[in-house]
Amino acid sequence: MLALTRKKGESLVINNNIEVTVLEIRGDQVKIGITAPKEVPVYRKEVYLQIQNENKAALNTETLNTETLEALKGLL
Amino acid sequence: MKAESRLFGNIDIDEEKIITLEGGMIGLPDFQRFALIFDEEKGQKESSIMWFQSMDDPGTAFPVMHPNLVKPDYNPTVNDELLAPLGTLTEENTYVLVTVTATADVKETSVNLKAPIVINTDTRKGCQMIVEDDYPVKYRIYEAVKGRKKEAGES
Repeated sequence: MLALTRKKGESLVINNNIEVTVLEIRGDQVKIGITAPKEVPVYRKEVYLQIQNENKAALNTETLNTETLEALKGLL
Repeated sequence: MKAESRLFGNIDIDEEKIITLEGGMIGLPDFQRFALIFDEEKGQKESSIMWFQSMDDPGTAFPVMHPNLVKPDYNPTVNDELLAPLGTLTEENTYVLVTVTATADVKETSVNLKAPIVINTDTRKGCQMIVEDDYPVKYRIYEAVKGRKKEAGES
């Protein structure tokens, strides 16, 4: 991982079109501003990981819980 | 197009029915081509649970369903710019699916309302996105499904 030190108000430029700015530092919290093309999704990592895990869990349905699925289909 | 599926064996899907997710499913960027498969042999209707099968990996198949079956007022706010690559979306060509996570206990089975798959049926392009609204990642569906059946007077 590339580690760069920045002060409040300083920025990083990634790939010519993404700018990351340190807006505010208060205790152990940092407020970050991101300027990126609107088609670039930016997610909080914990939310992203939650979705990634849920996708994995959905994939497990195929091997583990087809019976449950059949029961549900019967209801639908 | 021919592909292999762990669930369905060898499958042959019309090219024009292939759905392309340029970014893949979240956490699975490598598989971009999918087909929507109904289990017709078992008398499955389109209104039921379907499979979103990867054309590139036999073992990657997501059970999916229409969110409105379990959440009729589902209306997430999505970033239009993220949908722009799919082509112009209208009420007619927008097709929304959510993944189903089944557990051994049917009552714990849920759908992911936080990250729907949005598909443009004209361009056959789609993407999975995280919506801003406060929808749950695990929305339990057993009661909702049973309730629906009761309403229809079938129970």
